[in-house]
Parts: sequence; structure tokens; C-alpha cells
Amino acid sequence: MENILSVITFIPFIGMLIICCLPKNSVGLIKGVALVATGIPLILATQLYFGYDPMAGADGAYAYVEQIDWITGIGAQYHVGIDGISLPLVWLTSILLFLGVPASFGIQKSQKAYYALLLLLEVGVFGVFISLDYFLFYVFWEIMLLPMYFLIGIWGGPRREYAAIKFFLYTLAGSVLLLIAVIALRLQMTDIAPETPFSIPAMVAAASEGLLTGASLPNGGLLLGMEFSTWAFWFLFIGFAIKVPVFPFHTWLPDAHVQAPTPISVILAGILLKLGGYGMMRACFPIMPVAFYENAYILAILGVISIVYGSFVALGQTDFKRMVAYSSVSHMGYVLLGVGAMTVWGAEGAAMQMFAHGTSSAAMFMVVGVIYDRAHHRDLNGFGGLSQPMPVYWGLTTICFFAGLGLPTMSGFIAEALTLVGAFQSDDIRFQALVLISIIGVVITAAFLLWAIQRVFLGTLNEKYKDYPDMNFREIFCMVPLLILCIVFGIFPNLILDVMHPSLDHLVTLLTAGGN
Amino acid sequence: MNPYIEGMQALAPELVLTALALIVLVADLLTKGKDSRRMGYLTLAGLAVVGGMLALRLGEPSQTYFGMVIVDSFGTFFKLFTVAAVAVVCVFILSDKNERKNGIGEYYFLLLGASVGIFFMVSTNHLLLLVLGLELLSLASYALAGFHKGQRKSAEAAMKYVVFGGLSAGIMVYGISLLYGMTGTLDLAEMATLAGDSIPTGLVPQLYLSAMPVGVAMVMILAGFAYKMSVVPFHFWTPDVYEGSPTPVTTFLAVASKAAGVAALLRFVGALFPVDGVDEIIMWYGDRFGMLIAVLAAVTMTLGNLSALRQQSLKRMLAYSSIAHAGYILIGVATRTSEGFDAAMYYMTAYYFMNLGAFGVLLYFESALGSDRIEDMRGFGWKSPLISIAMVAFLVSLTGLPPTIGFYGKYLLFKVGVAEGLGWLVIVAALNSVVSLFYYFSVAKSLFLKESNDERPALSQPLFAGLLTAIGVLTIFFGLFPDSIQELVEMCSLLGS
Repeated sequence: MENILSVITFIPFIGMLIICCLPKNSVGLIKGVALVATGIPLILATQLYFGYDPMAGADGAYAYVEQIDWITGIGAQYHVGIDGISLPLVWLTSILLFLGVPASFGIQKSQKAYYALLLLLEVGVFGVFISLDYFLFYVFWEIMLLPMYFLIGIWGGPRREYAAIKFFLYTLAGSVLLLIAVIALRLQMTDIAPETPFSIPAMVAAASEGLLTGASLPNGGLLLGMEFSTWAFWFLFIGFAIKVPVFPFHTWLPDAHVQAPTPISVILAGILLKLGGYGMMRACFPIMPVAFYENAYILAILGVISIVYGSFVALGQTDFKRMVAYSSVSHMGYVLLGVGAMTVWGAEGAAMQMFAHGTSSAAMFMVVGVIYDRAHHRDLNGFGGLSQPMPVYWGLTTICFFAGLGLPTMSGFIAEALTLVGAFQSDDIRFQALVLISIIGVVITAAFLLWAIQRVFLGTLNEKYKDYPDMNFREIFCMVPLLILCIVFGIFPNLILDVMHPSLDHLVTLLTAGGN
Repeated sequence: MNPYIEGMQALAPELVLTALALIVLVADLLTKGKDSRRMGYLTLAGLAVVGGMLALRLGEPSQTYFGMVIVDSFGTFFKLFTVAAVAVVCVFILSDKNERKNGIGEYYFLLLGASVGIFFMVSTNHLLLLVLGLELLSLASYALAGFHKGQRKSAEAAMKYVVFGGLSAGIMVYGISLLYGMTGTLDLAEMATLAGDSIPTGLVPQLYLSAMPVGVAMVMILAGFAYKMSVVPFHFWTPDVYEGSPTPVTTFLAVASKAAGVAALLRFVGALFPVDGVDEIIMWYGDRFGMLIAVLAAVTMTLGNLSALRQQSLKRMLAYSSIAHAGYILIGVATRTSEGFDAAMYYMTAYYFMNLGAFGVLLYFESALGSDRIEDMRGFGWKSPLISIAMVAFLVSLTGLPPTIGFYGKYLLFKVGVAEGLGWLVIVAALNSVVSLFYYFSVAKSLFLKESNDERPALSQPLFAGLLTAIGVLTIFFGLFPDSIQELVEMCSLLGS
């Protein structure tokens, strides 16, 4: 299929329109439409993933490209395509959104609106991952905020309104800075590529030739006393860093996660955080390679702070979900460390960490959801001995947490090991010191996850919980595919590394060239 | 042909509009105001005729008649804009459940009279005609603001409006008189070009002589525009007048009257201080003038947004938001380039859709709930989903998020700002739109996130709901496919081509 990416992206949109037309009461039909509208993209994306020729992404090329004029007044195009960096994330999106539908069957309130918004969210996320036009990218980037706001705000916990608007404000603050930088880039592209001024590949190409220096902007690109390369880089970086989230921009995340309903937490952790990391790799670092090269160690330091700080804060949590939320901050720090090192292994580790974390943290949030549905609280100290009434739950949780703490044979291990080794390979001595510091994070992560298992499943059984039913089929169905992915990619990491390698290789070449 | 007849032909839309206003007034008198709805329909039909006449003129070359009336596409653009806005306001009046339906024929007469004022205001470079148009608009607006004369708030609104309007018009006329004394002409085009070899007339020799008095006159004239657009520090009337006036009138003031101010300001700045001015000193002075406008823009948007944060009433919140939007529009004016002016015009178009929509929803809530407090709209989104979803589209657009027309408008403004070296102003504007998200979405929060404790059922107004939904759809459609509007704006560009 020539336009398979558009089909994948807009089938959920069609599903949303259908749901909007259905009567409120036909809940079964609505759920069915939602399943089909997320299921077809899953099938297509799986086909795409396994039918993808990795060399299609070599040397900065893209596969399945569609390029149509869209807004001729400003030169924006509908320009989409995938490479080894975006394809695994597109696939991950289709998996998690599909699993998110049955995971949401427990929700009773206004289901029609819920599934419609869920599908709209999927459109936005797919759109960001496949966009190769910065204007299109930005539009999709913002489109997904709206459904997320309502999904947290309507179906969330007691402080949902606060969490929803906080999420929205943080992300918007980042994205308006992003917009200013995009405009400045666009203005310079007018002369360089008048036909496709918003094209991200064209910007990357121009940047690697050293054309995007801001010289053609008024005052030579000076803004608030900063050089163009400085401010544009930081504006883009902050826009994406808030989404990741990188310390110190992470404070929206615990609130959003804790208040969001389980399936939304799953999607938030599994996919939305990846958008930040992906955005940096696609639309920030290679466009500003010189600034990136100069500031790479600062980014790596931020990454390491996120790793260590996130794990320590997670250790101190008594709320189960908050703990998992902070573990996300910690895990996403590896992405920055890996890319910042500018080695192929580091970049592969970072890209793989995004996928690995997408599966393992999504599963962890499902773990929290299972117990919250039964106990209606999430106090880690309030449980104990749950391994007796719920053995299946115990087993799956253990696998899931092992995946989270990076046990060998799990994809998280490969990702973290690659990242750390890749960072250690760096010629820059500072990176080796950073790797040593981030080991603390690895240890603490193991500590809080194991301690959580101990507090929830071991010890004496609380009488209140002895009649709890074990996980039902729906819950198992939602969690097991994610764990299988963790294990399969942990044992056969080449299944994913081969797909990513050519594109990442090219990315690292672009980035290291920034120093010359 | 006789230049007089020729001029009359060129002014046909104005003449038809004036005739329409008079017909409505007399017809309402003759029917003793028994069923004023008919007057509403008559007005709508008349506006359709005027709109058609205007649409046919788009793209015709610029012509000046009687030495002061310019008939060009730029003016036609804003006239069409006014006609479209007034038509929607008429529909608002017709569907307003709180409005008495009898004996309000003057409502339409006053609206049409104000429109005639706008028509002249936007089609002249002559300061005398500008003041006449502005005063005609103002006088009709004062009466409209106090239309619910029995209500204290409405009377208060009219009073405040008169006092502020009188003050700022006085300042403006005084500034104009100073300028006239210095340059010897009231025609802006002449003022900009007259060199006056023997007698020093025109702006240029005056500036060489001393820039200070010109500066005083300019600031004073700016006061008049600032008042019409609600730009700080002439914004004080806005929240009270908007709140006290009947909602359809508020809509008219927020959309049509503000657009007239924008159009007149664009003409003024475009005639005197285009960025590539004729003379060195004009360019030097224009830079200062542009900087003044840029500072006003920053202050206006910040003050408007920060004040809107604390509002409980949707109507008052929209008033402050309209102040903030005046600030955004000024970015385009401050650049003094053709692109900047086009961006301001595009933004006005965006503003048209999203504000008409938002005020329409406000009117709907006032009819359904008898209150304009945001808190009272709790849970209403689930009762009237269609209107509430349209409202979310308007809010998203007002915040300036894709995929709406407001985003594209903001994008164009930001782009000219960055391109013309006003990066700092663009950063201020961008951070302002983050602030504005908070209060705009307090409405969305109330509509959808809160539980309703109000048992009253939703109003059933299929026609009105259909109109609002259509505006909502257009808000999104033109956000995704803005080319047609951009082409229209470029065709009507003031400085371009």
C-alpha cells in the first residue's frame, strides 16, 4: 500500500466519527468500534514493522513517503514517512492503544466520549511519529493535548482538574517556545528550500551544511542577547524536554499519572513520554547539531540527574502509582544520556530504552490498576501477603518489575546496558564519570521495585484482602503481550536493533559532525 | 461622466445601507413596533444585498472619490467583515430569549447606523472623515449599550461608554488639530508626501524642524484608535461596558467596532509610517512609532490576560480576552510591513469566527441559565453537547492552538514578528497564550469536568445551535485549510501588490 501511513493514522479518526454518531446507550457497539479502529492500525503497523527493510532508513532516507501540498500560503506540506527511529514507536503506539481499549472496559462514565477521545489521541500520536513537515508535526503535537486534557480531567481521580490543567499548561509552555524556534527555522528555509520550507529532512540537510546559523534573521538572529543557535536549540529542547520529562521539567508528571485513569496512565507513560525523546532525535538535535555538540554534556547531566533523582524520589513514595510515575522519570533519563554520548551504541540504547520503557512501564501501570480496582487505594504500606489470594497477579507483577529494573533477558537490560556502555565509549571523559553516577540510579531502581514487591505481595496477609479475586482474563490479556515483548526483545534484541541501526547510525554521524 | 454621479455609484453600498437603516426605522414606526422580528428579517435581507454588492467589488483597483473617500479592496474587506458581523448579531437578537420582541425596531436601526459609520471610517485617509465615521459609530454604540434602559447595569454601561468615548475622541481631535496646524493638511497621503519647498508643510519638514510636537500629536491621535480597539491605557471602559450591554451589542462592540478601529489604525500607520518610508527621518521616526506600538501590544496583551484570569463571569472574561487579542493584533501593526498588516487582517478574520462563536454560546447560556457565571455552567457540556463542543473549538482557537483558525492567525503574527526583529514581543505573546489557556479552559472545565447539580433541561434552539455549530466547524476548517482566507487577505492587502 502506498499510503499505508495515512491509513494507519486516520482509521482511528474515522472510528471516532463513527462513535460520535452512535447513540449513547449502545455501549457494546461503541467498544466494538473502538476495538476495530485500533485493531486495524495494529495489524497494519505489525505488517509494516516486519516487512520493513532496515536499509530503507539508511543515510537519512525515509520509507513510505507521502508528500502533498497542504497550505500553499506558507509552504506547509502533508509530508509523512518513517525510518528506523519512528517505526518501532509507531508499532508501540498501535499496540498500546489497542490494549488500552479493553483495559478501559471498566470505565462506566460517558463511555461514548471516552472512546472518541481515545481515538483522537491515537490520531495525534501517530501523526507526530510520521510527520516529516515541521508544521504538520506541530499541529499533531498540539492536537493530542486536547483529548489528553479531557481524558485526565473527566475520568481521573479526585484532583483530576488540577492535574489536567497542569499537564496542559506545562506542555503548552514548552510548545510555544518550540513554535518560535520553528518559525525562526522556517524563515531561514525560505531561501534554502523555497518549495519545502517546513520539511524536517531539508532542515537537517541544511543544518549539516552549516546554513542554519540565523544569519538571515534580523539582528543576525540575536534574541534576548542570545545567539540564534543557542536560543533556538534551547527552545526546541525545552519544548521536548517537558514532554519526556527531564528534570527539572518533570513536576507535571506525577500529578498527571496519579490522577489519570489506569488506561490513560498506560498510554501517557507508554507513548506520550516517548514523543519528547523522539522529538529530540527527529526535530531538535540533528537540526541544531552545533549547539547540540556544545551542550551534549549538559543534556547528559540532566539525564543523569533524572535517573538518580527519579529513582530516589520513587524510593520515598508510599503511593504505588506515584512510585511508578517517578520510575518513568528515572528511566527516561537514559534516553538523554544515550543520545548525549553521541556514540552509535548510546543512541541505540536510547532508542531501545524508549521502546522497552514503553512496554514495561505500561505494564507497571496496569499492575497498579489491577490492585486499585480491588482495593480502591494505592498505599504501598497498606497491602501485604497478596501473593496468596492472587498468585497470577504476583507472577506477572514480578516479571513486569524485573523488566522495569533491567534484569538480563529483559529488553530494559539491553537498553540500559547499551546506553551505559555507549556513554562510556565517549571520548569525553565527563561521560565516563556520568555513567558511574548513573549506576546509583540502577541500584536504587532495583531497590524500590523489589521493596514494592515485598510490601505488596509478601509478609502476612491482611484479612481484608483475602477474598480478592485473581486477575481476570481481560486484565491478563492486556498485560501479557507487553511482557512477552519485554522478554522477546530482551533475548533477541536484534529484532529491534536491526530495524533501528541504519537510521541511528546516520543520526550519530550528523551529530558528531556538529563538532567539526 | 459627472464625477458626482460616479462617486455616488462608487458609494452605492453605503447608500443602500443608509436607506436600509431609514426604511427599518420608518417601517417600525408605521407598524407601531408590533412585530419587530420582521424588521430583523428585513435587515438581514438588506445586509445580504449590501454584502453581495461589496463582494462584487473585491479586487477592483483603488479609487478616491470626493477627495476623501477611498474605495479599495482593503476597505471592502472590512466592510464585508462588518456586514457579516452585523448579520450574525441580528441573528443573535432574533434568537435571544430574553429580548423583548416588540418595539425594538430601533435596535436594527442603530446597528445599521453604526455600520454606516464603520463603512466611512475604514475607507478614508482623510482625518476629518475618519473622525466623522468614528463619531457616528460611537453615537450609535452609546445608544446600543444602554438599550436595556430599565436595567441599571445597561444604563451604567452606556454612561461609562459615553464618558470614555467623549474623552478619548476629544484627545484624538485635539491631536488631529495639532497635526493639521503643523502640516497644513488633513489628508494622510498628502501629509506623508508633501515636501513643501517654500512653505514647510507635510510631515517631513515638520519632523526635521522638531520631532517633539509631532510626537505629542501622534500619541494623542493614537488614543482614539486605542479606545476603539480597547488598547491599554484606553481599555478601562471595556469590561464594564461589555458586561452591562445586551449580549448581542457586546458582540457587535467586540467584533465589528474593534475591527473598524484596527482598519483605521492600519490605514493611519500605513499611510504615514510604512517600514520602507520615503524619507530617512520618516523611517527613523517610524521605528520609534513602531516601538511604541510594540510596547503597547506587550502591555495590552499581558494586562488583558492577567485580568481575565480572575473573572467569574464569562462575559467579563471575554471582555478582558478581547483586550488581550487587541494586543496580539498590534504585533502586526507594529511591524509596519505589508506582511504584518496582512497578518493582522487574517487575525481579525480568525477573531471574527471565534468571538462570534464564543459570544453566541454565551448568549445561549444566558437564555438557558439566566446567568453568565462560569460556575453556573457546570456539567452543561453533557446536556448540550453540540454547542459545548463548539465552545471548546472556540476556546481552543482563542488560546491559539491548532487545528483552529486562531492558531494559524497567531502563527502568521508570530512569523512577521520574528521576521521583523520583534522576537521579544513574540516571546511575550507566546507566554501570554499559555496564560490565556488557563482561563479559557476554566470554561471547558466547568462544562465538562464538573458535575451538574442543575436539573433544568437544555434549551432547544435548533436554528441557533446549528449556526453556532457551523461557526465551530468553520473555525476548525479554516484552521486546517487557511489558504482561501489568506488569498482573500492578500488580495485586499493595504500596502501590498
